[in-house]
Amino acid sequence: MSVLENIGRLEIKMFKAFTDTIMFAFKVIFRMFQRRTYSSAMRMVLLNQIYFTSVQILPLFFIVSIILGSLLVGIVFQLLKQLGLTDFFGNVLMGLIVTELSPFLTVLLITLRSSAAINTEMAVMKVNREIKTLEIFRIDIIDYLILPRIINGVISLVLLSSLFSILLLTSGILFSRLIFGMSIDVYSNIILNSANLSDIVISLIKCAIFGFFITLIPIRFGLKASQELTSIPIVVSGGMVGVFTAIIIIEVLSLITKLF
Amino acid sequence: MSREFKVGLFIVCTTIAVLLALLYLSSEKGFFANVYTFTLSSKSGDGFTDGMPVVFSGFKIGQVSELELNEKGLVLIKIKIPQRHMKWIKADSTFILYRPLIGAARIVVTTNNLDSAPMPPRKIADVEIVNDINDLIKIVQPLIEKITQIAENLERISKKVDKMADKTDEQLYGKEGTLPQVNKILKNIINKLEKLDTTVDNINKISKDTSEGTKDFRMLRSDIDDAVNAMDKVVIKLDELISSKKNPEFEVP
Amino acid sequence: MNIALIKQYHENMPRHKAEQIVLYALQRLGLLSIAYKRNPSLTNEERFCVMLLRAVMVRDAIVIIDRPLNIIPNLKGYDFIFQTLKKIEDFFITCHIYDYKWMAEKYGEI
Repeated sequence: MSVLENIGRLEIKMFKAFTDTIMFAFKVIFRMFQRRTYSSAMRMVLLNQIYFTSVQILPLFFIVSIILGSLLVGIVFQLLKQLGLTDFFGNVLMGLIVTELSPFLTVLLITLRSSAAINTEMAVMKVNREIKTLEIFRIDIIDYLILPRIINGVISLVLLSSLFSILLLTSGILFSRLIFGMSIDVYSNIILNSANLSDIVISLIKCAIFGFFITLIPIRFGLKASQELTSIPIVVSGGMVGVFTAIIIIEVLSLITKLF
Repeated sequence: MSREFKVGLFIVCTTIAVLLALLYLSSEKGFFANVYTFTLSSKSGDGFTDGMPVVFSGFKIGQVSELELNEKGLVLIKIKIPQRHMKWIKADSTFILYRPLIGAARIVVTTNNLDSAPMPPRKIADVEIVNDINDLIKIVQPLIEKITQIAENLERISKKVDKMADKTDEQLYGKEGTLPQVNKILKNIINKLEKLDTTVDNINKISKDTSEGTKDFRMLRSDIDDAVNAMDKVVIKLDELISSKKNPEFEVP
Repeated sequence: MNIALIKQYHENMPRHKAEQIVLYALQRLGLLSIAYKRNPSLTNEERFCVMLLRAVMVRDAIVIIDRPLNIIPNLKGYDFIFQTLKKIEDFFITCHIYDYKWMAEKYGEI
């Protein structure tokens, strides 16, 4: 009986956590569309967040994109040539690499860097009672702390993922010339024919959803920290697991929508 | 360079790059092109579908956007043609609904004179229907009927041949058949020939003693004559029997 | 810059304008040097001043100081508190100090 009880308790706890997160997400989205949210203080925080998430890592991001992206494109092209599937390289490049791998790799990069930092920051602020101080001074936590980070997540992920895709396609020019002996005109024609506007739009929306949840979930977990310092690693690890679960769920859902 | 400047630069540059890429893609896909609508008509809507391609010289130049019925019961087919393909649609262009055996159906535009006036938007052109499969059925059906008839005839003939073969077998090999009769005849001949041997022996005897055997010789001669006559008749009868199936029996005198 | 945040958030003031007000107030207290320092690197007296300034940044502020010894444990003379309050008296309406009854004599004549 106790095993069943434990299973039931766990399921209820998970379901409750899931619904709480969704409700919180709705609350945040509602606040996002209110004009009064965008005060001077909030804009300053948002600016700083975008700077630390996207601009500061740009050089590293370029290097990783070019190296990883080029290698990926090169290997895929080589494989297609060996299998005699050169006719499909446009579809593979656009359908798989640009619309699937590019957002996924970007989200992993941002999650490992920014989500972990946000999670820890929130937990430490909670432990140090900084959250309480802000509340005493009637500074809305959602407006000042949460929304800038979430908006930053959305903007950064969409822009960085697009940048990654652009760099991939550019390195594709080089590899298509080396491996297939293809000129730029032929390459761009193939890409244009394979590119589907709806797929690209879905990919951008997916990036925005990724960005939303990889910032929302760490914030929620960080705010669950208690007054003890020992609660910090617990909420951080829980938050990161939650983030990776959300990434997988969103990825699966986007693949399902592609089927239809 | 202040932090605000860097962030602003990053957002602006990346957004512009993304928007340019999307705009370029959209324009190449014909998203922003002017699209013109023409109306075609047909007695039947069978075979037409929304989104069906309109093809000129094997290239897709447009597609069917809408199908509707007018008051007279004619099917009106609206096709959308982008600006850049308008030059292929002329006033004297013909439109054919082509339904191949293999592949999707399409509307094929044929324009003999590319210098003629463009097709007016209000003109309702007729669509001819060419069905590979229906035409094929029309051609093949009579052939199939013929083949069926031939097969039936062959069957009848083969039945007749079977019956004839049975009869022939019976006539040749049956109890009263030709071959047993021939056997009988041959046996008779052998008997006669044996008699002839005997007769020849007698002749030899007679020839040794010619003075006394004149009567015997005459008798002998008439015997020989009778035997030879009988053999003649047998041979004639045999000839007749072999050549005539209808009188297989005869009696040897 | 936590002090400027109050003005920035409540009155939607641009950052540089809010910073100027804070820097002016710090200058009055002779603490301009601590403008960009973080909390752990401040002394107790400096921290007290920063907390006081943050409180007075609220419009029509009514300041309540709860047991000053909690903030400045090694406080010798309470005159420091009164002098600090006097230097920025135009920033707030009133100030109330709450402490234990047996600490009353330390405050002397107010």
